[in-house]
Amino acid sequence: MRASVLPLTPLLLALFVTPALAQKKAPVEEEEPPSQETVQSDISTRQISIQSNFTGVEILIFGSIDFSDSRTPGEGTYDVIAVVRGPNEPIVVRKKERVAGIWVNGPAKTYGQVPGFYAVLSSRPIRAIASDKTLKGLGIGLADLDFGRHISDAPEEQAFRSAMIRLKENRNLFQENDDGVKFIGRSLFRANVALPVNVSTGLYTVDVYLFRDGAVVSKSQGSLQVTKAGIEALIYKLAFNHPFIYGLLGVALAVMMGLAGWYAFRRD
Amino acid sequence: MFQIYLPIAEISVNLVVMLGLGAAVGFLSGMFGVGGGFLLTPFLMLSGIPPAIAVATGANQIVASSVSGTLAHWRRGNVDVRMGAVLIAGGVVGAIIGVFLLKVLREVGQAGLIISLTYVCFLGVIGALMLWESVRAMLRARAGKTVAARKSGQHNWIHGLPLKMRFPRSRLYISAIPPLVIGCVVGLLASFLGVGGGFVMVPAMIYLLRMQTNIVIGTAIFQIIFVTALVTLLHATFNFTLDLVLAFVLVIGGVIGGQFGVRAGQKLRAEQLRALLSLMVLGVAIRILLDLVIRPSDLFSIVPLAGS
Repeated sequence: MRASVLPLTPLLLALFVTPALAQKKAPVEEEEPPSQETVQSDISTRQISIQSNFTGVEILIFGSIDFSDSRTPGEGTYDVIAVVRGPNEPIVVRKKERVAGIWVNGPAKTYGQVPGFYAVLSSRPIRAIASDKTLKGLGIGLADLDFGRHISDAPEEQAFRSAMIRLKENRNLFQENDDGVKFIGRSLFRANVALPVNVSTGLYTVDVYLFRDGAVVSKSQGSLQVTKAGIEALIYKLAFNHPFIYGLLGVALAVMMGLAGWYAFRRD
Repeated sequence: MFQIYLPIAEISVNLVVMLGLGAAVGFLSGMFGVGGGFLLTPFLMLSGIPPAIAVATGANQIVASSVSGTLAHWRRGNVDVRMGAVLIAGGVVGAIIGVFLLKVLREVGQAGLIISLTYVCFLGVIGALMLWESVRAMLRARAGKTVAARKSGQHNWIHGLPLKMRFPRSRLYISAIPPLVIGCVVGLLASFLGVGGGFVMVPAMIYLLRMQTNIVIGTAIFQIIFVTALVTLLHATFNFTLDLVLAFVLVIGGVIGGQFGVRAGQKLRAEQLRALLSLMVLGVAIRILLDLVIRPSDLFSIVPLAGS
């Protein structure tokens, strides 16, 4: 469909487009096919510090479409999908079973590579933007995400997988927002993502895809780093790098506070 | 409002709620002369702290409250250091076993279940026995009879055991084996449940070792310092489950609450106090039992793979 439009483009440009835009487009036309739209994006915060008052954080992904073919806002020529992905970690999913009247953890399945955080934000429902095959190839959408485990079609296997997705969604660690990307005017767009308090630390990638007619025409990549900061970082590092000293510190603090408590309130 | 981030538990909790929880448990422990761990650890789990972190952090809180308690008893000469040392020796063995047992159980995903079952069994039995005993005492007091004093020098099977030791402070000459075993069981419970174990140790020392009640309490709380300190250290070193920020908040609450508890406890009579405590112990046991029996709202659960 797009190919058939192309021969008409110069004519359309001549008829409708302002001279300024025509001039801007002209040099590109000499080297590349015309109207090669590209997406550029960035993140409001590239460094997130978890400190004692951390209760989660909202980040803003913003960007623009260069060489946009759309002439009026809300024309629907382009779709944008933003994918925010945290570092992978292995996850065990367990199912409770009733044994002798009490509920105990029964069968378990391990998923080797589950993103600690995964959010898909799009300007329309993703299934309406592109085919399942395209989305799967790009790793967009919870339905087709590879969690590092071969998934058969067995109902049991599917039940575990959907339970994990549901539990992660309940904790806001997995998000799908069909209405998450908002266009502002002809080529600007923005998307808000809330990272919950229980996000894991590490490097997060932010991929922004520009779709036109069901195909990716441009992609922009960014990243953000989530780290613990201040006294929290100190405690965390001590606890995992020098656990024995950390334990001693805990005991020493408790003993001192016990002594202080007794001294402050003693009555003899 | 007043949210505070816990760096090891990796969740955010309300500072006021946690201070209040520490104070409430401190109040009860001051009132009843118990460590309060059997209340603190389940409450921490109910407020969303992962069980293993609740256990290790609860143990750390008990270190502080038992230091305060021991000093008060020490001043009154109620601590039998020699008996305490034997109990600690047993406690060290039990604590080490418990910490590694918990590590293994976490890896197979049964830690929560075994912790809950152990709580139900111990709290259920101890609570029922205490309630029975205190109700009888109250009825007898109402009938105007005085409770018969325990005869000292009464012999039972304990006295037939070898390895006899002299405990001058308690005026006892008994085998070291029973206190070692009691200490070991308490150490196991401490590392496994995040409790001091006073609710097991105190009756065992009174009824099995036939020690005087005041020395029993002083000695038990003395032993609890060392066992819970070791448990804290072992959990921090091998399971990485101690959250210092949470411990600090709980300790502050506990120290303050404990002082008011001691004063409140002095206004109640001993058997009333025991009846109240037993009802609370039974209440916690029933609550945990219900969680095991009632069909959970979600049959599935997710945890990060242990050891990663």
